[in-house]
Amino acid sequence: MPESSIIETRDLHKVYDGVEALRGLDLTVPPGSIYGFLGRNGAGKTTTIKVLLGMSHPTGGEARVLGLPAGSTEVRRRTGFVSEEKDLYDFMTVAEMIRFTAPFFPRWRAELEQRYLRKFELPADRKVKALSRGTRTKLALLLALCRGAELLILDEPTSGLDPAMAEEVLQALVAHVASEEMTVFFSSHQIAEVDQIADRVAIIDRGKTVVTGALDDLRERYQRVQMVFDGEAPQAQFRAPGVVRVQRKGRMLTVMTSGGAEAIVDEATALHPVSVDVIPVTLKEIFLETVAAED
Amino acid sequence: MLWYKSWLETRWRFLIGLVLLICSALSTVFTYPQVMKLLPMAQHLPVNVSGEIGRRIREAVELSRSFQGHVWSNWFRQNLPQTWTLFAVLIGTGGFLSHSTGGGTLFTLSMPVSRNRLLGVRSTMGLIELFALAFVPSIFIPLFSPAIGQHYGVGSVLVYSACLFIAGSVFFSLAALLSTMFSDIWRPLLIALAIAIGLSIVEQLSQISFGIFHVMHGESYFRTGALPWAGLLASAALSVALQYAAATNITRRDF
Repeated sequence: MPESSIIETRDLHKVYDGVEALRGLDLTVPPGSIYGFLGRNGAGKTTTIKVLLGMSHPTGGEARVLGLPAGSTEVRRRTGFVSEEKDLYDFMTVAEMIRFTAPFFPRWRAELEQRYLRKFELPADRKVKALSRGTRTKLALLLALCRGAELLILDEPTSGLDPAMAEEVLQALVAHVASEEMTVFFSSHQIAEVDQIADRVAIIDRGKTVVTGALDDLRERYQRVQMVFDGEAPQAQFRAPGVVRVQRKGRMLTVMTSGGAEAIVDEATALHPVSVDVIPVTLKEIFLETVAAED
Repeated sequence: MLWYKSWLETRWRFLIGLVLLICSALSTVFTYPQVMKLLPMAQHLPVNVSGEIGRRIREAVELSRSFQGHVWSNWFRQNLPQTWTLFAVLIGTGGFLSHSTGGGTLFTLSMPVSRNRLLGVRSTMGLIELFALAFVPSIFIPLFSPAIGQHYGVGSVLVYSACLFIAGSVFFSLAALLSTMFSDIWRPLLIALAIAIGLSIVEQLSQISFGIFHVMHGESYFRTGALPWAGLLASAALSVALQYAAATNITRRDF
């Protein structure tokens, strides 16, 4: 595995009670990236995160985090984590949660703690169980950000939040990452938020990586070639590499490609269409097409 | 800070147990004058009550003729082990896996601490609380005995409480093990209590002279002055084995 990867998994497998949650997941997260981990519900996002942090044991393959075996104590010392459920101790107050967490992390950022307490307007004396979902998320984020971590792993950080609160949380995250040297790995099924803050993505489906790369690169590689014909669109086979899906509807033939549009356009011209257009695709379309292609 | 968290998780169970047991210990002392008054009436109890119940009634009457016997029969053989076992199971149940004890399982597991250390701290805190529950209320007996003109030796308290603590810790360890197998609080609690009650009934009905409750009561010490060494060692070994099984289970478990 390359030394420069913050997270690296090879052929990672996890079976729960006979169900394959991960089926040979390959992942490479470079340092300094904001890495969006996209997938449908049940695709294996949370399982992957649990394996990385040692909450679940892989049944096959290899996973390393910060160059160390996934799940080691040292990995957790150098990683901030926010779970999907914002799992905290209901019986503690906000101040007690902070007092409890800080001593475990030698690089705890006391000045950040004070700054986020004010910024997030967290009520220090209130019990965690009495916090709203949004405030609970902010506390979970404070506890993760102040660890002085090199890696931040967030599992669906904005799940259950209203759009305004989700935006506030994302902005805080982006602002933090901009001022610190760290890598963020966050899972989501909210494509818009991944599009908004990530610079790299991996899309997984049924426990396997189906798309991975820099977001700008993906936008360049993934394109839609649309052909319109005089009459019924012909049945056509495209030999160019990277064809994700071919759709034929009336006079229109559409090819989604992950290998650039040039070769497809060359093949399309040979079919004598009335028009050929290359249309850029959004991350949402890439997600829907690649995940649908797996069905 | 893990100690602090473990204390916060279990403090109410511990404090409620402590208050209940202290009240029960004081009641054992301060009801003795009343028992003394009622003893002559016990002579007229129907003598034809047969079987285990009859034997127990006659034995209780006989034991109550001395303050030592009254305290052992009512406190060290009955009220203390029954209530203590209930709280041993209550304190042993839950642990860092249970959502019923305040949640935060994934948060705990994201800390740079091994699962064995988490379990070790939780178990040690539970055992410290149970140690206090075994000894502190019992100390009230020699402290308050002079108030009714009686005397009870601190040495006896230490022996009986030690027997209770060492042997009874098996139920704490059993609850801890069951808590690593189930994520809710109810199944470990009910299974451990059912086993404790079942064992107690079997020991009473079969009239066997050994068994975990006999060791917990310090019966051999009361009757012959001999400490139940074999029972204590066997209980301690069983307790360690159960804790080891809990540690093994927690290490390999997925969350």
